[in-house]
Amino acid sequence: MQHVIIGNSAAGVRAAETLRALDPEAKIIIIAEENHPAYSRCLLPDLLAGSRDELSLQIRSDDFYVKNNIQTLLGKKANSVDPVAHKVNLEGGSSVSYDKLLIATGAISFIPPMPGINNPNVFALRDLRDAKNILQAIEKARRIVIVGGGFVGLEAAYALYHRGLEVTIVEKMPHILPQQFDAQAAEILKRDMQAEGIRFILGRGIKEIAAPRLWGRLFGRPETGVILEDGERLKADVILISIGTRANIEVIKHTGILVNQGIPVNDFMETNLPDIYAAGDVAETKDAVTGKIGLTPIWPNASTQGRIAAYNMAGIKKAYTGLIGMQNAVEFREVPAIALGITQPVGDEYEILQDYRPDRNLYKKLVLRNNILVGMILVGRIEQAGIYGALIKKKQELKLSHQVLMRDDFSYGHLYPL
Amino acid sequence: MKQIMIDVNLCNGCLTCTLACSAAHSLSQEIVGAMSEKTPTRIKILPVKGRAVPLMCRHCEQPACVDACMTGAMQKDPCTGIVSNEGNDQTCVGCWMCIMACPYGAINQHPTEKVALKCDRCKDREIPSCVESCPNKALRFTEVNAFADERAINVAAALIAAD
Repeated sequence: MQHVIIGNSAAGVRAAETLRALDPEAKIIIIAEENHPAYSRCLLPDLLAGSRDELSLQIRSDDFYVKNNIQTLLGKKANSVDPVAHKVNLEGGSSVSYDKLLIATGAISFIPPMPGINNPNVFALRDLRDAKNILQAIEKARRIVIVGGGFVGLEAAYALYHRGLEVTIVEKMPHILPQQFDAQAAEILKRDMQAEGIRFILGRGIKEIAAPRLWGRLFGRPETGVILEDGERLKADVILISIGTRANIEVIKHTGILVNQGIPVNDFMETNLPDIYAAGDVAETKDAVTGKIGLTPIWPNASTQGRIAAYNMAGIKKAYTGLIGMQNAVEFREVPAIALGITQPVGDEYEILQDYRPDRNLYKKLVLRNNILVGMILVGRIEQAGIYGALIKKKQELKLSHQVLMRDDFSYGHLYPL
Repeated sequence: MKQIMIDVNLCNGCLTCTLACSAAHSLSQEIVGAMSEKTPTRIKILPVKGRAVPLMCRHCEQPACVDACMTGAMQKDPCTGIVSNEGNDQTCVGCWMCIMACPYGAINQHPTEKVALKCDRCKDREIPSCVESCPNKALRFTEVNAFADERAINVAAALIAAD
C-alpha cells in the first residue's frame, strides 16, 4: 500500500503518523512545497515577536520522519493529480503513484485586488517565508498598519508591537474578531490591547495602498501608507494584509474533484473521486453545530481530520463525527478568550444567557436553541470552555437549570450523575 | 493499562490529594515546601450539590487535547498512555486550544506561567501521589476492567442484599 500525502502541516503530519501506527508496512510519502520539517503556522507570531526561534516552531522531533519511516519530498511542488492513473505529477516532470491520496494542502492568504497591493512593503502572514520577509522589512520600519482585525492580524499586531513598532489595526467591521466574538467580548479584548498602546481603527476598510510621495522618492525615503475608504491616509512603512485565507486547491484543479470553497468530503474524509481524501484547511466538512458543510480552517479540526482520514485510508472505517467549525482560543495580552459555535445568533429561536463584567475583564455568554447549547463565549475565565464544548457537541436538551449552567464554578461534576 | 479510577462515593473532600499532588510536582517534594513554592495542584475536587467530586485528566485513548495542540507539546506516550505537555522536544506556548478541546475541563491555565497545566499521572512514580495519599481509597490506580468488574460485583451484591 502506498499512501501519498500532499501537505506537511497539521492534517498531513497527523495523518502520516496515524497511518504508520495503523500499518507498519505501508509506504508513506509526504509531498510539500516548503522545504522545511513540519512547523506550526500558529506560532509564526511568536517568531515575529522574537519569543521563539525557527527551530522551536517545529511540531515534531527531528527524527520524526526517519523514526516513522515516512518518505519526504520537501521543496517539491505537486503540480497536478491524475486520478485515472493514480499519480501525482510533480514540478520538473517526475511523478509519484499512489494507492490512497490525501490532499492536505491547507490554505493561502487572501490578498484582495487593490491599487498598490503589489508594493514591496505589503505582506501577508501565512508561512515561514512570509514571517522572515516581515522580519527583514521591519528592521528599518517605524509604523506598521495591519489590515484585518482577525486572529492572525491581532497576534501579529501584538508580536510586532513587542518589536517596538507603532501598530495600527484597521478593521472594516465595527468590532475586532467579527467572525467569532460578539461586540462585548471584542470590546474587552480591544481594551486590553489598547492599554498596551496598540491603535485601532474600526468600521472602516481600506481602498488603496498608497505609493511613495514625490518628496519621499526624491530624498530616498519611500514612505508609504494606506488610504481608508473615507479618504484618510495612514502612514505606514510596512503593511500586513490579514483579512482571511482561501483553500489551497491549486493542485486538484481540472481533476474532476468537486470543489466549492474548498474540497467537500463525506464523513470518511473521502472526496467524490475514489481513493482521494482531503483533510485540514482545504477540506469542507460538516459542522457539528449547524450541520452545514464548510471550511473549518483551525488547527484542532485540521489534525483531527488528518487522523480520521488516515484510519479510512488504512481501510478502517471511521466517521468524522464533526467538530465545531467556528471555534478559537486567544490570549493576546493578558485576557484569555474562547469562542465556540454560534456566538452571534440571528433570529427569535435563540435564548441568550449573559454575564458581562467588563470592569473585571470577565464575560460569559451562552447561546441556546430549544434548550440545547449551540454556542458560547468565555472571556477572562476560560477553564469551563471544553465542558461547554462537549455539551454543544452532544446536542442534547439540557437537564441543568440555566442558573447552574451560568455558575462561575460550573464544572464537569455538574454533569456527573450523583 | 492502569488508570486512576475515582469512586465518588468514597470521597469526602478532604483535599489531601491536592496537597500530595502539589508536593509531588514541587522541587522540595514535600507539602510544606510546595506551599511556599506555590506549586499548583493538578487535581481538582469539584463541589457539586454538597458533594465532593475529584477530577483529573483521564488520559484519553484518543485525546482531543493532543489533536488540538498546535505546538506538538501535548503528546500521548504510546508506551505508558500518559498524556502530557511536559518533557517533550516541543514546548507549550499557552494558546489554550487544549482547554477548549478537553470535554472534562481537566486542563487549566498555570497560575503564574503561560502554559497549560494538567495531570501527568506522576510520570516518574509507580503509583500517582494523589492515589497514594488518599485516605478514603476514593482514588485507585488500577486496570480499568478490574475496576469495572469489581464495581459490577458490588452492585450485584447490593441487589442481592436488597432482596
